[in-house]
Amino acid sequence: MNITVKIANVTFKNPVTVASGTFGHAERYFKLEEVKRLGAIVPKTVTFLPQVGNQPVRIFETPAGMINAIGIENPGIDGFIAQKLPSFQQIGVPLIISILGHTEEQFVGIIKKLNGQEGIAAIELNLSCPNLKHKVLVAQDPQATTRLVKKMKGLSKYPIIAKLSPNVTDISEIALAAEEGGADAVSLINTFTAMAIDVKTRRSRIGNFTGGLSGPAIRPIALYMVQKVASSVKIPVVGMGGIMTAQDALEFLIAGASMVAVGTANFVNPRAPVDVLEGIENFMKENKISDIREIIGSLKK
Amino acid sequence: MEKIQNTYKVVVNEKLCPQYWRMAFEAPELGLEVKPGQFVHIRTDDGGLQPFFRRPFSVYRAQKYVEIFYDVIGPGTKLLSLKKKGDTVDVLGPLGTPFEMPPPDTKQIVMIAGGIGIAPMLVLSDILKKKKYELVLLFGGRDRGHVYPMQEFKDNGVKVHIATDDGSVGVKGRVSVLFDKISRDVEHAFIYTCGPNPMMKAVQVFAGEHGLKGQAACEEIMACALGACLGCSIETTNGFKTVCYDGPAFNLDEVKFH
Repeated sequence: MNITVKIANVTFKNPVTVASGTFGHAERYFKLEEVKRLGAIVPKTVTFLPQVGNQPVRIFETPAGMINAIGIENPGIDGFIAQKLPSFQQIGVPLIISILGHTEEQFVGIIKKLNGQEGIAAIELNLSCPNLKHKVLVAQDPQATTRLVKKMKGLSKYPIIAKLSPNVTDISEIALAAEEGGADAVSLINTFTAMAIDVKTRRSRIGNFTGGLSGPAIRPIALYMVQKVASSVKIPVVGMGGIMTAQDALEFLIAGASMVAVGTANFVNPRAPVDVLEGIENFMKENKISDIREIIGSLKK
Repeated sequence: MEKIQNTYKVVVNEKLCPQYWRMAFEAPELGLEVKPGQFVHIRTDDGGLQPFFRRPFSVYRAQKYVEIFYDVIGPGTKLLSLKKKGDTVDVLGPLGTPFEMPPPDTKQIVMIAGGIGIAPMLVLSDILKKKKYELVLLFGGRDRGHVYPMQEFKDNGVKVHIATDDGSVGVKGRVSVLFDKISRDVEHAFIYTCGPNPMMKAVQVFAGEHGLKGQAACEEIMACALGACLGCSIETTNGFKTVCYDGPAFNLDEVKFH
């Protein structure tokens, strides 16, 4: 059975990965044998300088999902390379490093530092975090997306994946802009800008006022967007948005995603990514499918 | 423990006093490993999506069975209260940083708890009773319905003092009316507190004024409880810290209570 997938020149042993920001301290909490089975690991987004994150309250539970406004709390690229990268490398699973610069110079700075490191499979450009005080996200502007992806692609020794925002009118337009810039893949979706109000106090439930909605509540919209993007671009699509089970992941693969990322589900079921992988394998066995490529993009119309 | 996520069989799930419930489940390995102040994260919906998050509970007792003590306040605890003997629960644990043990010269241990904040104190007294401390519990509750019968603490040799908002049990007033029971012998007293933030803030102010040291067990809404999502961060004198991973137990003087 072949379940390998490719992005640029990198082969992943299977299509299951985790969404950035949902999988920390892997080395302490999971049996390595289980984590080692994943196709790739995506640590939490790293910025150029350390960030302390947003003022609490940072999360709120919603029907079949959650709103978060963590604010990319992270040790910065130097801290990440010194403190976190070695333990992630020890797991022995390909690493996709999610990065975010508040300016183009910061993106350049991060890429240059990562070029000096070995043992990285790809770079994911987080163009779509909704919880920072930017008026317009890069992933809301096709020209800015093309320009930034092009610049990073020119600098990076690793393949470039552009992570897209669902908070746009037409996500396939942004995906095409990333492809035009030379992106090796696009990943989608990030969270939907959202809020919840405490009726008693008449204040937002979230310290940052707004946050990003994730979880199964957004899955049908994520699936639609993945299908739309996958039918528009030629580069691989990493699909995510509320995947809890193998059945959910199969929907994304059929819609055209080459890889699937398990995100918010990790918070409820830490075994979710491994359950998803095993479920995909079982589905293939039961249906006598020998190659995952028979599933990817097989949606009938 | 080999695995952090396990399914356990419910042995007891009962209403202990008008307001609070106790659940015991069969988890011998977890029972041996868990330390006072640590918690378990329970999936109350058995794999459904409502409520979406797991629910964190302080471990209340870890003897033959692991026990939690809870208040039915929302959809998660409501579902938990419907569990019957023989049902199973999906549990992550033991999680978090436990209480630090008292410094060597300690003579008096003062546990100050408000409402459901009593939960980590029983397992703490189970451990501390083996040493030769004077154990004191100052408990504050809303009314009679919020006062858990204190026999188990008394069995551990704990001197129990109670205050209720309406005076129906013990002294009338907030738990702070009981602070005169705390030894002013700074070198030899050590505080453990758990309860609503305004109460712990009062304990912190009192401890600060008298130069007393202690530990506070904090609570926050949690998603992962594994230090991954950074959703349960609180403000401390050392920046944001996660309640699930850096805590729940913090130095009393370190937390910025709001």
